[in-house]
Amino acid sequence: MSVADALGIDVGRLRESTDDLGRVAMVVAGIAFWGWLVTRWLYDWTLGRWGIGPGAGENVLSPAPFEQAAAALEGSVVALGPVRLPVDWLATLVDGVALAIDIAPALATGAWYTVVLTTVAIVLGFFIAVPMAVLRVYGGPFRWIALTYTELIRGTPLLAQLFVLYYTPYLALWLNDASVVGQGFVPDYAFWIAIIGFTINGSAYQAEYIRGALESVDEGQLTAARAIGLSKLEGIRHVVLPQTLRYAIPAWTNELVYLIKYSSLAGFITVPELYYRASRIASSTFEYTPIFTLLALVYLGIVLSATNLMDRVERRYAVPGIGQAEGRQQG
Amino acid sequence: MSDRSKTTDGTVRERGADASESARGTEPLLRIEDVHKSYGDEEVLRGIDLEIDRGDVEVLVGPSGSGKSTLLRCLNRLTEVDSGHIYLGETEVTAPDTDPNAVRQQIGMVFQDINLFAHLTARKNVTLGLRKVRGLSAAEARQRADSELDRVGLADQADSYPAQLSGGQKQRVGIARALAMDPEVMLFDEPTSALDPELSNEVLEVMQGLVAEGMTMVVVTHEMRFARGGASEITFLADGEIVERGPPETLFENPEHERTKQFFESIRHE
Repeated sequence: MSVADALGIDVGRLRESTDDLGRVAMVVAGIAFWGWLVTRWLYDWTLGRWGIGPGAGENVLSPAPFEQAAAALEGSVVALGPVRLPVDWLATLVDGVALAIDIAPALATGAWYTVVLTTVAIVLGFFIAVPMAVLRVYGGPFRWIALTYTELIRGTPLLAQLFVLYYTPYLALWLNDASVVGQGFVPDYAFWIAIIGFTINGSAYQAEYIRGALESVDEGQLTAARAIGLSKLEGIRHVVLPQTLRYAIPAWTNELVYLIKYSSLAGFITVPELYYRASRIASSTFEYTPIFTLLALVYLGIVLSATNLMDRVERRYAVPGIGQAEGRQQG
Repeated sequence: MSDRSKTTDGTVRERGADASESARGTEPLLRIEDVHKSYGDEEVLRGIDLEIDRGDVEVLVGPSGSGKSTLLRCLNRLTEVDSGHIYLGETEVTAPDTDPNAVRQQIGMVFQDINLFAHLTARKNVTLGLRKVRGLSAAEARQRADSELDRVGLADQADSYPAQLSGGQKQRVGIARALAMDPEVMLFDEPTSALDPELSNEVLEVMQGLVAEGMTMVVVTHEMRFARGGASEITFLADGEIVERGPPETLFENPEHERTKQFFESIRHE
């Protein structure tokens, strides 16, 4: 007889309810996180611009009460003797909240660039990656084109690629000549350079993942497609690729997660994304540890949302017998 | 057994006669002339000549490596011949300006490893060709697919994915998929050799049904039950050549060549 039985606790139900609790907590955290971001973005674009409320990029909440509370706690530390340490931690935490409120608008604006940069780059990169992967596997004498592309991009540092693109006068001049760039809602040219850079870089990695998945589809599938009169390309399009992409989703999610974090490199070419904002604030306030901890939390929020989304996509398109969602579907 | 083969034979001949009256005189439907094929140094087909009439069921037998599957794949140009000619009716299949995709619509094929499209339901496996090759509307394709699945006894499995079907059911969907394209000839490449014996039966029954309907078929198989009951002619290949050809009774009971005799004895012992 176990302790749980003695106490009349149904362990199964308990586990279920803690699972539920965890899920609810995740959903609440997700809603709070995206609620904060979206509200901030919408406010900055509309009411903030029109001069209603505190203004774009300014705080809605004041960090002052938290700052005062932290100062009070720190002041009382000396008098407290043995409970000194926990109170000290509490003071640090409250101070962190004050800081979070203080830099939240900047982080939210940075997160906008991070999210847009990542989303656009992964989607555009996908449309380069699929033909590249197909060329690599089925291209016959033209395989070397895809091979050169992926090896060149994968074999050089992303930061170097970004700098090359950023300092290429032709690209900069051409983008600056386009009169819409940098006007109103259209971001500055560094942003467009970053989009190009991440698209190209991401496409090479995605192409590799998709190539791996292409090769895992049995060649009999294409033979059967051709036997009913589909051309090779049609067979690839209608039979091989739909299976390939299902196989590729887990690896593809991995690439998305990498790209979200690698997008911080855009800060080095002055794109005002998350990392850029945080490092600017940190270098003027010297509060490196709390600021980069908060920065990490925002990235974590974005990454967890992305993996959660991809998990849903994987389930949505799951087919019995294909890919890794198969086991998860049971039970 | 012999009774059944007679009745089948009768149906076949009747159908064959119909077709020859209506269109092509006494021309065979499928004509293979001096076909050669090598892989590297190994010559797998060394000059094959064969004529198959409309409504005939040609069974190709022979030891593994004899070239039967290669010959079958040459018929719909999944494998290109090195030399020689293959005609389907008036069309030369092997001509360089013949569109292989167009030829393949007229030649259905069923594979040893089945190769159902793994991401599609049974019904969608059948509709894919109808939609993308034939250009049928979704509703028409669905209707046609359901009637083909009904023909192979799988109307109730239309929404199942390949992974949810047994081997025999999968192969029946494979047959339905090929039949849906309205082929003039059906090619079967060892359709039952990947299946358990009890699952083979359901596939063989479907094939017997096609024989009775007068479908022209070229079948590579080790199933001597089917060869006895369904074949109009059996062709025995060895080392890339036709050793002997004749009606089942002759080849089984009274083969001309020692090699043929040995082969049939060896599979009888299996």
